[in-house]
Amino acid sequence: MKASASPHSKAPFKFRIPTAENLVPIRLDIEIDGQRFKDAFTWNPSDPDSEVVVFAKRTVKDLKLPPAFITQIAQSIQSQLTEFRSFEGQDMYTGEKIIPIKLDLRVNNTLIKDQFLWDLNNYESDPEEFSRTLCKDLGIDDPEVGPAIAVAIREQLYEIAVQNVASARESRMSKKGRRGFEHVPVSKTGGASVDLVKLFGHRSSVVRKRKDWDIYEPIVDLLSNEEVDALEAKEERTAR
Amino acid sequence: MEASLREPSYRRAPDEPDLDLYTIPSHSSWFSWDDIHETEKLALKEFFDGSSISRTPRIYKEYRDFIINKYREEPSSRLTFTEIRKSLVGDVNLLHKVFAFLETWGLINFGATSDDDDLAEVEDGESSVIKIEEGVPNGIRVGAMPNSVKPISAPPVVEDSVIVNGSGFKLPPLTSYSDVFGDLLKQKILVCGNCGQLCGSRYHQCAKDDYSICENCFKDGKYGEKRLLEDFELKTTEFTEDRSSTGAVWTEAETLLLLESVLKHGDDWELVAQNVQTKTKLDCILKFVELPFGDSLLCSETQRNEVSGPNNNVTSEKETTDGPPETTEAPPNKQEIAGSEDQCTKDINEDEDGENQGPPKRQCTASIQDTSSSLMKQVALISSMVGPQIMAAASTASVTALCDENSYPKEIFDDQNFFVTNGLCSAASTTSNHEVERILNNEDSVAKERPQSGDIMAEDKDDIALILRVRAAIATALGAAAAHAKLLADQEEREMEYLLGIMIETQMKKMQRKIKHFEDLELIMETEYPVIEELEDELLMERVSVLQSAFDLGIPRWKDYPSVRS
Repeated sequence: MKASASPHSKAPFKFRIPTAENLVPIRLDIEIDGQRFKDAFTWNPSDPDSEVVVFAKRTVKDLKLPPAFITQIAQSIQSQLTEFRSFEGQDMYTGEKIIPIKLDLRVNNTLIKDQFLWDLNNYESDPEEFSRTLCKDLGIDDPEVGPAIAVAIREQLYEIAVQNVASARESRMSKKGRRGFEHVPVSKTGGASVDLVKLFGHRSSVVRKRKDWDIYEPIVDLLSNEEVDALEAKEERTAR
Repeated sequence: MEASLREPSYRRAPDEPDLDLYTIPSHSSWFSWDDIHETEKLALKEFFDGSSISRTPRIYKEYRDFIINKYREEPSSRLTFTEIRKSLVGDVNLLHKVFAFLETWGLINFGATSDDDDLAEVEDGESSVIKIEEGVPNGIRVGAMPNSVKPISAPPVVEDSVIVNGSGFKLPPLTSYSDVFGDLLKQKILVCGNCGQLCGSRYHQCAKDDYSICENCFKDGKYGEKRLLEDFELKTTEFTEDRSSTGAVWTEAETLLLLESVLKHGDDWELVAQNVQTKTKLDCILKFVELPFGDSLLCSETQRNEVSGPNNNVTSEKETTDGPPETTEAPPNKQEIAGSEDQCTKDINEDEDGENQGPPKRQCTASIQDTSSSLMKQVALISSMVGPQIMAAASTASVTALCDENSYPKEIFDDQNFFVTNGLCSAASTTSNHEVERILNNEDSVAKERPQSGDIMAEDKDDIALILRVRAAIATALGAAAAHAKLLADQEEREMEYLLGIMIETQMKKMQRKIKHFEDLELIMETEYPVIEELEDELLMERVSVLQSAFDLGIPRWKDYPSVRS
């Protein structure tokens, strides 16, 4: 069965982050004169670009960073927004696509591993709400964890959306070239996406098998400061 | 606000016991395991517009049922979204939407949601301690635990308290009730079984068990379940002076003391009571009367006197003549006070007192008179029922019979006869009664007086006459009773005759009705008979015509005939 049979794929969406709010995940990793600034946040692409500089200035001021960071931050954000905007306006054949999202991140002392399914077609999805619920349910009190999870989800969605745009372009081209009959199913291009028929067919239950529960269960670890230091050192080493 | 749904869990949740009681909000009463309600369709449109293979009503139902069942596995703790999403395949956002929907409607986490939110928010704001929530505290939950018996058992408990306190409710006939409260009832402070208030000094106790109710409840007719008015008897506690509840309970020592003092003091109950000490005068009298030999003791006392009487009679023979004039004087007085017998007897007492100078003994004679007067009262009653003439006849008959027995007291009765014949007919019965009473009074007073007073001669003036008079009185009473019995028998006979007559009449009526019925039937028969005859004729004619036509057509006779015949 072709995924294009579903009504969603027939009416392609313009490119955007497939969530309720079209927020672009921005990741900053700037190092100037031995000072390193790492941050991750979301940015509304419909905001005027003048905001970027204002934001950079403010951040530098708040964090008491050297002024050299202002331009670097602004540039980084600007470039990421530009990249995002380069996809805008393009068709996105997301089709019937449910992808597994894997989380494995460390925020300060909290280590989170998780895995869940995300529907790219669900334009009502809300990573921020999801991460809030997750933190509440797991009793994570660190206020930085929630936004970090949300950004992580958005990054993955962004990545997949970009892939979809690419595949859509590819399929369009192949359509032109081969009269459109060799339509590549989107699910294949998604790579990691789930076989929907197998999951949601009439035979199978939507209730997971018990042995899979552990895989899809979030794992939270609280690390001591020493562990964090050790981990950071390790990350440094692998990065170089 | 809350509505309880009795939900069979079907095969969806085999680990769940059947027919558990869950509490869900009443506004969610639309929920049903078997169906998807409009509310659900409206709130979660994506499952019902057929937009995707991953969003179908079937999948929604599976999601929903799983989440609710998961919650009900342990309803005391709050189910979190993170908990269920690991077990369900599908878009987490969609799952979250379903979860939020169910939570909003109270199908899961009912009663805990809002509090928990507040709690969590507060925690987020203030504390930096990382804490994993393990559901809400039990106290916060409003909904019932599915397996707990509390909601079921709670109403009876409330009812119980209502029953105990409220006057409008009756106690349930629990066997344990008397076990539990029996001791309480036996204690001095008696609690009314009905209204729960203190009974005070007077209360009514049920004869069957220890169930007691206070006077107010008794008056209002609140007897408790399965108890009738007759079952209750009035009891008084020790706080009352005139009659103690322990009065019913006589110890053996007390009884013995009573008997001794009766033997010593005779009928002077005040002295007896003083002797017994623990009991009042009335108690002593009652107890003495209740004793099986109490009467015989008194009788033997009087008889002893009687036996001793005749010994002195020899000397007092002539004084018997003095007696009759006395009796002739008495009746006119009594007629004036006809009706109340007590007064009559008092009169007599006064008369006697005039004769006998024994002031300390007055009361004892009076008490004896009281007991003996009950017999006289019966006689009076009987005589009043029978009628004066019959009574008079009976008394004369008895007197003549007595006279025949021994001739010498004839003159004694002369006066009486004079009264019977001479006096008013209506007064005759009462006269005789009073006579009898008087006789008895005299006898008693004599009997009592004798042991103490030395003046024997004066007392025994009409001893023989008294005995005879007693017999006369008894004979009169018997005669009156016989007359009354005859009267009653006559009446019964008349009644029976009357009833028999009615019965015969009814039977006659019945017979007449039957006869009429048969006549009617005969009439019907008669009217029907010519009709049937006519029909027969007609049939005959028809047959003839059919045969005729058959002949005319030339059908052979041997062939056609049987068919026609049949």
